[in-house]
Amino acid sequence: MAHIAPLARLVEQFRRLPGIGPKSATRLAYHVLAMDRTQSRELAEAIIEAKEKIGYCSVCFNLTDCDPCQICGSDTRDTGLICVVEEPQDVAAMERTREYRGRYHVLHGSLSPLDGVGPDELRLKELLVRIHDGETQEVIMATNPDVEGEATAMYIARLLKPLGVKVTRIGHGLPVGGDLEYADEVTLSKALENRREM
Amino acid sequence: MRVDKLYLRNYRNYTALEVGFTNNINIFVGENAQGKTNILEAIYLGAVGRSHRTAEDDDLVMWDQDSASVDLFFTRQGVANKMGFRLIKGRNKEILLNDFAIKPREVIGSLNAVLFSPEDLWLIKGAPSLRRRFLDIEISQASPLYYRNLLQYNRVVNQRNHLLKKVFDRKKLPDLLTSWEEQLANLAEFIVTKRLEAVKKLGMLANLMHRRLTGSKESLSFVYQLAGSDANIPGDLYGWYRSKLEELRELDIARGSTSVGPHRDDIILRVNNRELRSFGSQGQQRTGILALKLAELEFLKSETGEYPVLLLDDVMSELDSLRREQLLAFIRDRIQTFITATDATLFPAVKAGRYFRVKDGLITE
Repeated sequence: MAHIAPLARLVEQFRRLPGIGPKSATRLAYHVLAMDRTQSRELAEAIIEAKEKIGYCSVCFNLTDCDPCQICGSDTRDTGLICVVEEPQDVAAMERTREYRGRYHVLHGSLSPLDGVGPDELRLKELLVRIHDGETQEVIMATNPDVEGEATAMYIARLLKPLGVKVTRIGHGLPVGGDLEYADEVTLSKALENRREM
Repeated sequence: MRVDKLYLRNYRNYTALEVGFTNNINIFVGENAQGKTNILEAIYLGAVGRSHRTAEDDDLVMWDQDSASVDLFFTRQGVANKMGFRLIKGRNKEILLNDFAIKPREVIGSLNAVLFSPEDLWLIKGAPSLRRRFLDIEISQASPLYYRNLLQYNRVVNQRNHLLKKVFDRKKLPDLLTSWEEQLANLAEFIVTKRLEAVKKLGMLANLMHRRLTGSKESLSFVYQLAGSDANIPGDLYGWYRSKLEELRELDIARGSTSVGPHRDDIILRVNNRELRSFGSQGQQRTGILALKLAELEFLKSETGEYPVLLLDDVMSELDSLRREQLLAFIRDRIQTFITATDATLFPAVKAGRYFRVKDGLITE
């Protein structure tokens, strides 16, 4: 087949996306070519618009198209409660619960000396400033339950304690609605460790 | 535990092999470099997830082939299981337990095996890391949680070491160390507690075996040596580790590594209260190892409810006829065993065995 430069370029662009191999990239490129003109323009514009209009909230560093973001700007949210997460995706996950009514703070990573990530690489100073100025009463550490997330939570907890706020860690344990017998050993033993009296 | 059948394809020097085993003693006889140990290696692979001879999975694939497979059919607590490995050069291996993909860390604990090879003689004389590894594999086979925590612990130590080097370069951030030390102490407490339990149990069993092997003339004891402590094991390990890590921080920063923790501990073997490593004779050391291996079998039985399979790689020639006889008497009709040997005359008394002749990647009964 003759080499079609624009097609090759499109395939190459798709290939750079996560989870897309050469075959999927080719399929996507042909699919785009089969679209009608308005559809493909909409796709291209959606990408450009998302890139141009979305930035980080200056308060919580979550992704947003307005500053401060909808959550930080909302007056129905509890201003005394901050949930600290590693990535913007984690905010989306927490929001899906529709139970949490406080605000967030996105660190953009977790402490990992192996990857060269220290406190300066995280949005930590900004968190401290928020707590200094604000009316925060409780900070919930919702970093991932792996060694890095745990170290990050512990580090932040120690920084915050002297400021007189309550610091809590989200619980680890069994998934709700699951069967006990299918839980893996580590989760189950964590759940056992974190049992509560009833 | 019983291995019923083994399929190999393009594995080491086997193009295609299908072989069934007896429940009792399986003996593989043949010249050197014919593929005897490869059979044991494949079974060990099913138990631990990697070879005991190489860290490179690619080495397991026949040299002029791209991929290999190993399928083990085994019976665990009366239930038939199948463990499969797909080895493709330059890629991570795929592991299937009963046709479901599992992760390498999930392999350990399904098919339990104890390997006894000439390298084990180094267990007494060699570096502490060998003894730690021995203990870790033992406990992991009985407790998957231990293995997971050990991996986490190693990661935390690695992270702390990296941080130590950074602190050394920049002369700041020492407060950051605390958050890693909390986790380190937590996991270290878990690991050491499990190891102490295992050392106590294994030590008792090994002493029993040792007394039996020596006609009650000698007794064998294990002592767990906690790095950073002279003799006693502190009651509050977590607290002890926290204060020790803080105390040694300056030194650790200068060295760029963590100087206390289970990754530095050792197990000392003593015969009649004398250290076996420095004062034991060759013969005593061999008896010690044999007692340890037999204790390992009993230990796994008490932890999992049944004997593991035993893999004896070329050790019969390392033992004298008396110890050989004692070993065979112990395993016969009780433990499924796989033995490699160059000389069939080493087992004149084995009636319960099945002989396999191994020649150039082919096996005949």
